[in-house]
Amino acid sequence: MAAGFKTAEPLEYHRSFLKENCRPDGRELSEFRTTTLNIGSISTADGSALVKVGNTTIICGIKAELANPTVEAPGKGYIVPNVDLPPLCSSRFRPGPPGEQAQAASQFIADVIESSEVIQTEDLCIDRGKLCWVLYCDMMCLDYDGNVLDACIVALLAALKNTQLPEITINKETCSPELNLEKRHGLHIHKHPVATSFCIFDDSILIVDPTSEEESLATAELTVVTDEEDRLCSLHKPGGSSLTGEKLQECINRATVRQREIHKLIDKVIYSVKTAQ
Amino acid sequence: MPTDTKRVRGPEVSQSPSLFVAKPAAVLPSHGPRADGRQRDQVDVRPVFVRCGLVSQAKGSAYIEAGNTKLMCCVYGPKETERKDETDMKYGRLTTDMRFAPFSCPERGSWIQGSQDKDLSLMLHESLQPAVCLHKYPRSQIEINVMVLENSGSVLAHAVTCASLALADAGIEMYDLVLGCSIRQDGSSYVVDPSYAEQNNCSSVSSENQGGLTVAFLPSLNQISGLQSDGEMTEETLTAGVRTCIEGCYKLYPVIQQALARAVSNATFPPSES
Amino acid sequence: MQLSTIPPRSYVISKSPSAAKQMTSSTLDRLLFLHGGGVMEVCGSSSVTLREFGCEQSLLSRPDGSASFIQGDTSVLAGVYGPAEVKVSKEIYDRATLEVLIQPKVGLPSVRERSQEQCVRETCEASLLLSLHPRSSLTLILQVLHDDGSLLSCFLNAACMALMDAGLPMSCLFCGVTCAIDTDGQIITDPTAAQEKESRALMTFAIDSTERRVLMSSTKGSFSVHELQQCIAVSQKASEKIFQFYRDSVRRRYSKTL
Repeated sequence: MAAGFKTAEPLEYHRSFLKENCRPDGRELSEFRTTTLNIGSISTADGSALVKVGNTTIICGIKAELANPTVEAPGKGYIVPNVDLPPLCSSRFRPGPPGEQAQAASQFIADVIESSEVIQTEDLCIDRGKLCWVLYCDMMCLDYDGNVLDACIVALLAALKNTQLPEITINKETCSPELNLEKRHGLHIHKHPVATSFCIFDDSILIVDPTSEEESLATAELTVVTDEEDRLCSLHKPGGSSLTGEKLQECINRATVRQREIHKLIDKVIYSVKTAQ
Repeated sequence: MPTDTKRVRGPEVSQSPSLFVAKPAAVLPSHGPRADGRQRDQVDVRPVFVRCGLVSQAKGSAYIEAGNTKLMCCVYGPKETERKDETDMKYGRLTTDMRFAPFSCPERGSWIQGSQDKDLSLMLHESLQPAVCLHKYPRSQIEINVMVLENSGSVLAHAVTCASLALADAGIEMYDLVLGCSIRQDGSSYVVDPSYAEQNNCSSVSSENQGGLTVAFLPSLNQISGLQSDGEMTEETLTAGVRTCIEGCYKLYPVIQQALARAVSNATFPPSES
Repeated sequence: MQLSTIPPRSYVISKSPSAAKQMTSSTLDRLLFLHGGGVMEVCGSSSVTLREFGCEQSLLSRPDGSASFIQGDTSVLAGVYGPAEVKVSKEIYDRATLEVLIQPKVGLPSVRERSQEQCVRETCEASLLLSLHPRSSLTLILQVLHDDGSLLSCFLNAACMALMDAGLPMSCLFCGVTCAIDTDGQIITDPTAAQEKESRALMTFAIDSTERRVLMSSTKGSFSVHELQQCIAVSQKASEKIFQFYRDSVRRRYSKTL
């Protein structure tokens, strides 16, 4: 009966739960799904992390390569973030080049990296004007159940913290770089931005960490990114129904709490990985 | 080449740091035990870890880990076929898409599917098709998506195993499971389930009997559904190789069966904790 | 106005009365555009300063609605097609499918344009009454003519004017306002490209005309909660001016043509 109701009237089905201040999966309105984190599982990548937020699974692998810096910014390296939503993760995505959602997500991640200064591209410079690192950060969704942006940011941050770049020296005589794969060092992470996504239901009810079904039924989506100093790095609301100031404040408060939780989680996992070694 | 406008772009050219490594990479010895401690010339497959039903959105899914090779496969369907112009509507269509994550290989891969991925997709398709009862699914299509998360050799063989497991998990009717195993022939000796380094290692002096072989095998029917070989091998070596691969498949069989049984029992009696 | 009263028969060049109407409206809009310049002077004296802005509607003959919007040196041309037939793959059974395409001044649209398209589309979806045209398609094309900062807000304003011109039913109007926070913490509304570059944070909001609430928000750079609230308040204030301009321009246009 319930299953039939859910398929026939999905919106009514959700409303009946929201009326009671809970959600179909048993969560409260401001409750996140369980977040699990696995760091360094991909040995071919220079840094990697796998994040699960409920069913949503994102794997982020970072590969470092060498390139020439641009003429405009000779002292800067590159960070190239891309989000991939392959047909593997949900039947809603078609094979082929990334769709609008994946492209918008890639741009959002790129904006967050730039705004939050999680990594300063100056740190990636090896030889001014001649050589720098390029960090290709590929985030791939393996299971799409909503809220990919939050999971992507967590995966990216954890993978960046896991990244170990090989030591590089410039040979004075030949002017060519030489690499020492044994000696590696981590990246300097300046900030810890964490995203918190919300959905607005029926123009009024605010829910956190939406599932894919909730996302498709909602009237608006909103993502708040904060760092450890409680500064906002992004307030991304692509449109949809309008939001009052009080509701916005509520979202920001929830986001700061979430930032603490995730920051702690990442540190804990990194510590456990270190002690295991 | 036209520029890719659908992704965040980096610099025009970038080079892998491995090109600048001061010390040349150690050449793998062609005698004695293998780098990971396994035995040469024996059916010594890597221990595998398999799980079914991990992806909530897919009809069926499987994950396989053999050594460092990590693969994931999802099955969607059967659903209405997209191509209505196909002449034969009595049978279902099987589509396969195999991709490598950009970070899966020691050298960073491109975002765009290369010819290697397409070849592997095709071989995967041909290995699986004979095992699926496609006549039971007229006018519909079954999609198989494989993602290689980490490539540490024998990708095709494990993809076949993983995909057949995902098909079974999706409840698609099949004649039998399909298991894959590959060997790498190096002169007179061979290695079973080669790692990435072993697969791309052609150091041996003699050019004879150099090659790779992947077999897709239906264990309970005792039939071969797919066979892919490259390089140059004598007839005896090839037949011996096929036999070795079949032996390797039989080693995998109980593990796969257990994973499937576990998935089925989990579905019927959901665990109490979740 | 006089032209439209002339019977079509006495017309030699124009084939239909609608062409006559178009001619008058475009001349009127030119006048209006000058008026937009006049608004600028009023803006300059108050606390919220916007650059000189202006608009011209129905300037293209092919689309069902069109508008160009100019903010300082930033200029965007918008065209709306629809409601028209929709591709089966994009059909939505209970509402119209809206597609937004952004064309940069040079080159092909990239990931950045795709993200802006998403912002404009979802803002338009929120204000348009799409359920009145089920199973049909609406296409909004935004062509950048010149970018001198505050581009996203200019997209939004041009889009709203074009949708109005196309006569599509909307629940409210919307406008875009860009605020930049410079290194001294000063808020600059409607910044130029140079001001954007020097700024510490950049925010663009879409404000609706009924309750002055935030429909869309897109930000760059880091800022405090207090700064965010200030910027929203400033944007809401600035939106009054833009809505007043919308109102004036539409009133002028229709009072003479109707």
